[in-house]
Parts: sequence; C-alpha cells; structure tokens
Amino acid sequence: MAGVTQPKDQSHFILPDLGEGVHEAELIKWRVSVGDNIKEHETLAEMETDKALVEVPSPWTGVVAELCGSEGEIINVGNILVKYDIGGASAAEPEASDAGQAEESASEDKDAGTVVGNVSGELEVSSRFARRTDVDLTSTNGNGKALATPAVRRIARELGVNIDRVPASGRGGRVTASDVHGYSEVGTSPAKAPVTSGGAAPAGFAPQAVAIPEDLPPVDDSGVSEVIPFRGVRRKIAQALDVSVKTAVHFTVVDEANVTAIDAKRREYAAVLGHKLSLLPFLMTAVCKGLQMHPELNSIVDDANAQILRKDAVNLGCAVDTEHGLMVPVIHGAHKLSVAQLGNAVTELARGCKDRSVDRQRLQGGTFTISNVGSYGGMFATPIINYPEVGILAAGRAKERVLAEDGRMFVGKVLPLSLSCDHRVVDGAEGARFLNTVVGLMEDPEKLIG
Amino acid sequence: MPITKVLEAQIDHVSILDEHGNFDESLGKGLIPDEDLIKLYGHMVICRLLDEVAFKLQRSGRMGTYPQNMGQEAPSLGAAYALETTDWMVTCYRENCGLFWRGLPMEKILQHWMGDERGNDIPRELHATPIAVPIGTQMLHATGLAWAAKYRGEKRVACTFFGDGATSEGDFHEAMNFAANLDIPVVFFCQNNQWAISVPGKIQCSAPTVAQRGFAYGMDCLRCDGNDIFAVVHCMNKAIASGRDNKRPTFIEAVTYRLGDHTTADDARRYRDAEEVELWKARDPITRIKAFMKSRKIWDDSKQAELEEHADEAVSAAVKRAEGIEAPNKEDFFNWMYAELPEQLVVQRDTMRTSSIGQDPSQIESPQASQQS
Repeated sequence: MAGVTQPKDQSHFILPDLGEGVHEAELIKWRVSVGDNIKEHETLAEMETDKALVEVPSPWTGVVAELCGSEGEIINVGNILVKYDIGGASAAEPEASDAGQAEESASEDKDAGTVVGNVSGELEVSSRFARRTDVDLTSTNGNGKALATPAVRRIARELGVNIDRVPASGRGGRVTASDVHGYSEVGTSPAKAPVTSGGAAPAGFAPQAVAIPEDLPPVDDSGVSEVIPFRGVRRKIAQALDVSVKTAVHFTVVDEANVTAIDAKRREYAAVLGHKLSLLPFLMTAVCKGLQMHPELNSIVDDANAQILRKDAVNLGCAVDTEHGLMVPVIHGAHKLSVAQLGNAVTELARGCKDRSVDRQRLQGGTFTISNVGSYGGMFATPIINYPEVGILAAGRAKERVLAEDGRMFVGKVLPLSLSCDHRVVDGAEGARFLNTVVGLMEDPEKLIG
Repeated sequence: MPITKVLEAQIDHVSILDEHGNFDESLGKGLIPDEDLIKLYGHMVICRLLDEVAFKLQRSGRMGTYPQNMGQEAPSLGAAYALETTDWMVTCYRENCGLFWRGLPMEKILQHWMGDERGNDIPRELHATPIAVPIGTQMLHATGLAWAAKYRGEKRVACTFFGDGATSEGDFHEAMNFAANLDIPVVFFCQNNQWAISVPGKIQCSAPTVAQRGFAYGMDCLRCDGNDIFAVVHCMNKAIASGRDNKRPTFIEAVTYRLGDHTTADDARRYRDAEEVELWKARDPITRIKAFMKSRKIWDDSKQAELEEHADEAVSAAVKRAEGIEAPNKEDFFNWMYAELPEQLVVQRDTMRTSSIGQDPSQIESPQASQQS
C-alpha cells in the first residue's frame, strides 16, 4: 500500500509517504499536544516535504501519548510520529515489513525485549532507492562534464551557473533542476555538500546548517524562557547570511537624497493611479538606471570558478518582511518596467511572500537587492549583501528636515540611503559614484522619469 | 481567379444556469426534472465528501496517490445522466461522480487508489471501462467500442472523458480522425480544467478554444460551462442524438476548473495564483445548484442537514468496506501479463519473496554467480 504498515492496536502512527516517493519530511508545527483527544482525520502536524507543505491527519480517534519529534526536525518515512494512549501497553517500535510480520512482532514486543528483525525504525529501502551519501556527488561522465538534460542546462545558463560544478543528486548521477537552483543560491546543493576531491567548492560553504566554528564558548542556558530551534525559512536565512558575510568583503557607504520634488511627483502619480504608492518604486527606477550606468554593481560572483558574471538585465530583489522571516522576491527585468509597473510588481510579490504562494523562480536569479528598512523606521544601515550579488541598497525613513543651500535654510524631505558592496568586485570609489548617481536621480524627477 | 470562402466555423458556448443564479428558461425548462436534480445534487455532495476524506486517507498513509475531483463534479455527472446505462463510459480519473451515478460502488474507487488493482475491475453491467491513468490512452478504446457496437447493429454510443492536456497527445487525434471518417458514434468529452498538472491551457493550445480541435476532423463541436450541469446535459443530449441517429461523433469541451491539487503528490500553490482559485470557487457547481434549488423552493436547510448526515454515513461505510478488503497477493504483479514469465521477472518475483519490494535484480548477485562462488 503506501509503504508502511500501521500497527493494528493503534498504539502509534508511523510517518507514511506524504506524496509520491517521499522519504522524509520536516516537522514544521505540531497541532496537537500530549493528552489531547483527537478524532480521525483531525490534523496532527504540519510537515514540509520537498514538494509541499502538508497537514498530516490522524488515521484514527485516540488520545495523544507522545509526540516523537520536535519542530524543525526532519522525520524519516517509516519512523513513529505520534504515540497514542492505548491503556497501559507501551507503543511498539515500527516494523517496516508486511502485515503478518507486524502483528507477530507487536506481540513479541509486549513480552520482553526480544524483538527480532529491524527495530531501528528506519524503513528498509533497497540500495537503488536509498539516498547515497557516501560518494562524491559531484558527478561527471568522466571528462569533467556534468550529466544533465537540455532543460536543466538551459536553467543553468540562465542562472549563470557552470553546470559542471554542480553536485548531482539525480538518478544515475544526473544534475537536476533543483540542484542547479540550490547551487545558484548558496554556491552548492542545499541538500548535500560535495565531498571535495578536486576542491570544487571553496571552504566556508556550509550548506547543511549554519557553520559551527570549533571551540565554541560555553552557553549560559539559565533563565531561558523559550528554546527556538533554527528551522524552515529562519534556517535558510541564517545559512544564506552566513555564506554572504564569510565570502563577500563588505563595505558600506551612506548618503542622503533630497526627495522633496520626487515626493510631490509620487503624490501626483498616486492620485492618477487611484491607489497608494510609496517612494520605493521611484527608488527602484533610480537603482535600475544607476546600475545601467555602473554595470560593475549589476554582477554576481561565481566563486567556484573564480569569475565575475556581469549581467545586462537588472533582476531586482526586494527584501520583504513576513511572519516566517525575511524573504527576497525578485523582479526579473526590472529595468524594463515603469514606476507604476514596479509598484504593482512589489505589491504582488510581497503578498505572494506573505501567504507563501510565491513560486520558487521568483525567489531566485537576482542581480541587486533593495531593502526598504525605512518602512519600519531607522535611518542608516549596514545591509548584508544577498550573495552572490555584489550590492545592496537600504533605504531609511524619509523625513522632513531643515536643509541649506546657497546660504539659505529651507525645509525638505530627506531619504537616507546605505549601500553595501562586495569590495572584491566593487571599489569604494565606484560604489560612491553609483550611490551619487542614485541620489542625483532621486533629486531630479525630470532625469528620473523623463 | 476570385477567392472563395471554403470554411466558416462557429463554436457555440452554452450556459443555462450561471454562477449568479441566472437561468435560461428557453433552454433549461424541463431539461432536468426536479426530483432528478435533487438526486444529482446529492451525488455531488457525497462525491465531494469522499474526495475530502480520500485526501486525508492518503496523508495518513491509508491510501496511495489520489487525484481529487473537487470542482469537477458536474461534467461527468451531467454526461452520465444524459447517457443510457447501456452506453459506454470510457473514463480517465476525474469522473468519480459520473461513475457513481452509473452505479459504481464508492469503495471500488478507494480500493483502486489504495493500490489494489481489483478496484478497477468494474462490473460488466455498468458498461464502463477501467480508470485510465496514463494520459490519452482511453479515447482509442472508445472509438473501438463504438465501432464494434455499430458493426453489431446496436444503438449504443460511447462517451470518452479526458482533460485538456490529453488533447495534445497523438492518440487523441487518431481516435478523433477514425471516428469522424468512419461514422462512429463517439462523444469526445473534454473536461477542460485549465491545467495539465502545472501547465496552463494557453501553453498547451494556441487556439482560443479546445473545442475547435474537432473541426479539423469534420465533427460537430460544442462548448459549455462545465460547472453548469444543465448546459452539460443540453450538449450531451445533442451529441447522443447525433451519435444514435446519424452515427456521427461530437466533440464537447466542458470548461471547468480543478479546485484541488493535480494529485496528492502535487502542491498547486506553487504554480497557481490564489486569486484564480478564489474566482473559480465562486463558480462551484455544487453551491450553484443548491442556490437554484432553494430559489425554486425544492430544497431547504433541513433537507441539507439530512443529506450531509447521509453523506457522512455513506462515505465512512465505503472507507470501512474498502479497508476491510483483504490485501491482494503481491505475486499478482507478475501473474497476469505473460503466459511464460521472462527470466528477469522470475528473478524479481523471487527476490520479492525473500526480501523487500523494489530490490533491483541488477544490484544483487545472480543465482548462477552465487552458485559459482
């Protein structure tokens, strides 16, 4: 049937294949507690497979005796997820064999600890289907060329990834589309690090979790009110930032733009469009124009091959704060869009991120990022680059201030801007020139929109 | 030499009861008697509940992959209602509601998706072929069945169901061409649910309607609101009459929407806009009929409560029956295809007897090799 056999006495529920050929799932959230009376079909937990976020229902009515796993943990198919109170008898270990044997061993369990067979809880999977973790996954066909379908090769080309460097997880050592996407995100496959034999990936790329330095200082765990494991989006954010600060050489330069005239323009536009419009799409337009004048900043770094990949199209990432954490959806081809179109695109993507309906493609392939921290407050920042990009611009809160020009004082609206660059690619002077261009555009509506 | 027009084509889109409750009396009056409408509605409600329960059965490991029918209850049901029980229904896998109308016990569907092939052993008197999961294989069978009926001088027609994606398959075109050229009474019924798994219709077909594909083969083409059971029955009546009386095939495109995922192994949120789904929820075939029946004063809340209670009982009983069926013999995998089992399959069968399913024989030592060592 679905691969695992549940115990006839309903003492425990074994995690089944939640999709089609799914071997494991991440426990996102428990929806029950120990002692809860739960009915058949009521949700036990939310779990995320590599395909979907799913709700796992209880196969029967009963009382929850034990939750076997903590949120954020990866649970293998075939392991116990929940134990039920069946009146004294303790739950048996799962038996990943056929129905007859399961019944037999369940009775053996009750006797004593004389269980024979596989009690590790691991589903026995033939070597053909098992995940291979013991071999170099940087698979090539012998001459250093990756095995991959034309469609996957195209994705790699579009993402600027050298496919021969991508660790393969597909059948027969093929590089899959998700391998390529994963590699383009953090420089290596998200699922597994290559066991480097040829030095394919540089040191410091820790794909599994945040890299843990040796000799950690002791942790004072007294007075802890809540223990929150790194998981889900939070863990992905941590991984990405860790790679960025350990790889890119950050420097930050700050400036202010007098946006009084642009702000008037913004109100005019909003009135014409009939809905709210922030300064963000104007800033995005300025950044797109600035990047076309200073293409050094519209690049990504291919560290694996020691090269800088300069891009023509501006794929503008836009940091969005969601309840799950920070997400950076990308507006592809932003340089071709008008202020109003950029405004709509931002609204749409932000909504997509918040309800998690945004598709994967929209979270990838950025060439530069804008972080609109000003909508929450604050003035200047030292933003962290969305690696492998080489620049990120943070916009603070626009405020009215007393300004001076030609010896006269006047009141104007000022937008604080903070630009971080990867110094390996962008020199300080070039960064400052780019920022200067953006400030100039933001101060002159004619140049920006005309 | 003047230019002359050699073809003028027109596709009619039929809508009788729309999502706002507007009802076209001229087309709809007397089409479905009230007592039948109540029964049809009951079937849809039960079918929807079965869908919801089946989804949870899969998620708790009690069933294999399952394709939900949610949102697509009306097309197959309207078609089954219009057909005679002696007419062939040649289905794919989103026609549960029509098959239940025909008389297929619900546990058969559950049994099938629980991985027991005997669930697909459909009682002969239902004149329905097994559920076809590979895309586009069944249309040829329908053409063959209807051809056989014509050859025998029977009045039978065959109605075959498929999705929009299947119209991109070669077999579809062969079945259509055959039926049209040889005057074979087939109704080609396309449930255009807009999505071939994750591929939207506009990528699959650059013509403005799927229905017009039938023109290429010289058959009548009709298009209707698939979530409007009146429109479906109207089109089916026309197609069936044309098949029975003139042995002509008809192509029907029923425009509908898959409200759920493609199957339980899919997550449609990854490729579909939530707004689109909401738009189609408002066009749900079930709520539409319910509102219509209430406006006609033939339905009320107490009848609804009674129906829901009955649906609960019927679905739980079907699940219980399906789960109570003794598991099939694993060796049946090997027993029905070949008169003499090829050597490679003998190894697989023997491996299965001694070890877990799925062992690749190429990865284990062959019996000869182990004897030698």
